[in-house]
Amino acid sequence: MKNKKKIINYSKEHQKYLKKIKVDKFTTLISQVLLLVAIVGLWELLTHLKVLDAFFLSSPSRMISELIDLFKSGTLFYHIGITLYETLIGFAIATILGTLIAIILWWSRKLRKILEPYIVILNALPKIALGPVIIIWVGAGTSAIITMCILICVVITTLSMLSAFLECDEDKIALLRSMGANKFQILIKLVIPNALTEFVSVLKINVGMSWVGTIMGEYLVSKAGLGYLIVYGGQVFQLDLVMASTLVLCILACIMYLFVGILEKKVRKHKE
Amino acid sequence: MENYLQLKDISLSYHTKEGEVLALCGINFNVEKNEFVSIVGPSGCGKTTILSLIAGLLKSTKGEVLLDGEKISKDTNIGYMFQRDNLFPWRTIYKNVCIGLEIKHKKKDQQSLQHVEDLLKKYGLYEFRNSYPSQLSGGMRQRAALIRTLCLKPKILLLDEPFSALDYQTKLSVCDDVHSIITKEKQTAILVTHDISEAISVSDRVIVLSKRPAKVKSIQTIDLKNIESPLKRRESPKFSKYFDLIYRELGSEK
Repeated sequence: MKNKKKIINYSKEHQKYLKKIKVDKFTTLISQVLLLVAIVGLWELLTHLKVLDAFFLSSPSRMISELIDLFKSGTLFYHIGITLYETLIGFAIATILGTLIAIILWWSRKLRKILEPYIVILNALPKIALGPVIIIWVGAGTSAIITMCILICVVITTLSMLSAFLECDEDKIALLRSMGANKFQILIKLVIPNALTEFVSVLKINVGMSWVGTIMGEYLVSKAGLGYLIVYGGQVFQLDLVMASTLVLCILACIMYLFVGILEKKVRKHKE
Repeated sequence: MENYLQLKDISLSYHTKEGEVLALCGINFNVEKNEFVSIVGPSGCGKTTILSLIAGLLKSTKGEVLLDGEKISKDTNIGYMFQRDNLFPWRTIYKNVCIGLEIKHKKKDQQSLQHVEDLLKKYGLYEFRNSYPSQLSGGMRQRAALIRTLCLKPKILLLDEPFSALDYQTKLSVCDDVHSIITKEKQTAILVTHDISEAISVSDRVIVLSKRPAKVKSIQTIDLKNIESPLKRRESPKFSKYFDLIYRELGSEK
């Protein structure tokens, strides 16, 4: 209904107002770009002039050449692939598992009451502390990293989704019940679709959390991946490698976030 | 047709940690088929509780509710309308209206679908069937909510202050609208409200409840049937007489 552009002769004041909005948006964007250029430029300049030590701080040009070296040796995409694989698998499993647990807890009030203190403690516990236990239980490898990633995301997913399910309007539930709906129908027709916006927020949180989980996992135990490159670079005092890997990580997280952002726009469209 | 709905000596108590609260105490009244009955009473006296009992969503501590000679259960076909329209924002108007059919697994029943279409056409919502609730006005949304209940052909329609969330102007016209649809569809309806004039303007009879524990204080027969629209009824000289009467009934409570 709203996608047709109306052709209306706006008053001068309104044209002025619209222009002001446009200018405002433009200046913000310009400032953002300029800020980035300034930081990168200053960084490059100061290290180039040896005011700052490029050995400790690396520099944009050294990061780029490091990336090119990695690319030429064919290992760049290998490491990216490994980390991306671990993150996406962890992200997917944690989101699905957390949502399923939340559904079970929504279904059974009794179970919810019983498990409440355990979930609160599990949520408060710094999951990294379980690192050694995970390695012993699932072995030192990719599975340990994915487990770490899942562990970090799953509790917050469960808690967020459960509260979204429980927030469902009592009147709407009563409406479906008055039509003779059973609990499963209430779940499918109302409670789950109603929590969709919250689900997208959870996805957003999990984008960040799953990267934290994977990199943490790779710090603990890994033979490849961006986290491995960062740790390795740190150990051999190769700051270029550390910084370059961090940059790649930034870009990847951004892309993943953008995807969720697109999804969010679609979901929000019909929410009041 | 006499005594289509019967409430026989209904009592209900709530249990809280602090103790037992008697909400309803020996409620007795009947509703005839195609009759429009309103229930008024001081706020918090248990008006909504009575509707929940008739809907089978609650069980009474004592007494029984009979509809068309049968005891009320969870599967009794009743229609419920709430204060807010409770349309699902992620569904189009058509899909919102059809939710009851989905619940009852009648989504493929041609007769029911035809009925939905007829209702939508008859009450001017057909061209908005693909719109989302947020694109409609408050009055139209409430009309959609009414059609959602009507398409299940309920044996009785329960209205729980369905106009109180609307502003005064809209309220009067939506009230007119809903009343005419209910009359046209020959529905039996019970309206719960705290608005005395609203109750008088739409009903054949008004049941006045006492404060908690609620009892039936009096039942007023409203003789305004010859005037069709609730809005016009408000102008009748008899209207203010009824208003005074019920107002005093309620007032003597305090």
